[in-house]
Amino acid sequence: MNALLTSAVAGLTAGGTYALLGVCAVFTYRLVAVVNFTGAAIGAAGTFVLIALYEAGFPIWPSVLAGIAAGTLTGVAVGYIMTRSFGEASASTKAAVTVALLVGLIAIGLRLTGGQHPHNMPELFPGSAFRLAGVEVTIASVLTIGLAVLFTILSDLFLNRTKVGLNLRALADRPMAAELLGVRVQLLSLLVWGMTGAFTTFALMIIAPQRSPNFMTLSLLVVPALAAALVGVFRSFWWTLAGGIALGVVEGLASSIDSVSQYRSAIPFLVVLSVLLWSQREARWDEAR
Amino acid sequence: MSRLVVSNLSINRAELPVVTSVDLIAESGAISVVLGANGAGKTTLLEGLSGIIPVAGGTIAIDGRELQNARPGTRSREGLAHVEQGRTVFRQLTTDENLRVSLHPGADMAEAYALFPELLQRRAVKASLLSGGEQQMLVIARALLTRPKVLLIDEMSAGLAPVIVTRLMTAVRKLADDGLAVLLVEQFAALALSIGNRAYVMSRGRVVYDGDCAKLRQSPDELHRLYLGGTEVPAEAN
Repeated sequence: MNALLTSAVAGLTAGGTYALLGVCAVFTYRLVAVVNFTGAAIGAAGTFVLIALYEAGFPIWPSVLAGIAAGTLTGVAVGYIMTRSFGEASASTKAAVTVALLVGLIAIGLRLTGGQHPHNMPELFPGSAFRLAGVEVTIASVLTIGLAVLFTILSDLFLNRTKVGLNLRALADRPMAAELLGVRVQLLSLLVWGMTGAFTTFALMIIAPQRSPNFMTLSLLVVPALAAALVGVFRSFWWTLAGGIALGVVEGLASSIDSVSQYRSAIPFLVVLSVLLWSQREARWDEAR
Repeated sequence: MSRLVVSNLSINRAELPVVTSVDLIAESGAISVVLGANGAGKTTLLEGLSGIIPVAGGTIAIDGRELQNARPGTRSREGLAHVEQGRTVFRQLTTDENLRVSLHPGADMAEAYALFPELLQRRAVKASLLSGGEQQMLVIARALLTRPKVLLIDEMSAGLAPVIVTRLMTAVRKLADDGLAVLLVEQFAALALSIGNRAYVMSRGRVVYDGDCAKLRQSPDELHRLYLGGTEVPAEAN
């Protein structure tokens, strides 16, 4: 029993990261109408700037800041492509473009970072925060979940209490009508891409030491992130947050059960499949009637 | 005084000419009415003026400043407001929030509610839940808060009850009387001509009539002929 609890708690760090990446995906979708497959790859780009600087002997915290800046700029660059060239495209076209950009980013990232070559990723927040039912809860777990909760609260406050947030909600509803009213559509879109790039990068910096820190592995964290976003139906920040944390905990539990541990990487796909089937149930009933 | 001057404007859609060599002006304190049958190019003309679609040639100037290559947002900040066809409210925002999005420096929300007091009691209601007439009032009021010099309005009467259309027309006339230059595209010719000053009739992408609204209102046969896109008549000299 204690082993299960330990595994579940161990999954909290991953869960917090999935939640934060998922909330960022919902933020991007709600405000610039893009299902963004590049989210984690953008974070991976920033994380590898940190790794490169750290391996070159630079002090850790300036390297973290440089990494976050790089992640922000990568986000803005991807956003620039999306808003300039695909601003009026359909949601499915935009999603397909981000898949293509993901492949491109992974190819470039692997090339620049030496493929599967192992890297020395520093642990930013080592150690235990507290004990829960006899199980150590790491600072990284608390931080990723805290960051996800913070981003969720800030997103709600930002969108509902500020003029920029109001303009972003208008932009998400009718981009052209917003632009005709003088709303600086491109600037706001790039702000969204930059903000999510920064948060994603920081989340990946925390989780990277626990994963195999290569560009591909980190970039593919977009799969559990989008699974979490699907739990929130790409609308609810709080359901996405809960979905991400639950996904991490379930993965953690699965890793402690021998018969299923080798399939735990399939769990996000099962969640995606389940949510999609569940969302189609009404259509099926309608057809049956 | 001519606020909006359009010269030799051409606009294509899918590389086919839809608006060809159009000249028109909109003056402060006046309503210029653009009439024409479906497919005449009226909506395309307005979309080209506000920058929704690019123009193929010609110039668009507000107070002498050329804007034909500017983005829609820039044109808005230069004083061009466009009330699109189809009542493009921000559906998930309340009436008040819709107005706040467009609130430019120097504008006051009270101006919008003074123009349409009907919206005051609906200020906390989501725009998607407003009636068609209220939505049309909201998009006109929203455009007003951008502090425009020129207001383009596309088919504001579509799908609305006559009593609401009359209410809207009265409000637009008041805006012009307060000094705004209005370019009004409308299907209901009689009503538009009754509040307008200058009329343009378009047929197959060209202006085939340019003259006084009152004069055209008194010549229903000529209007009918122009609407049907029959013999093209030379534009009236000013």
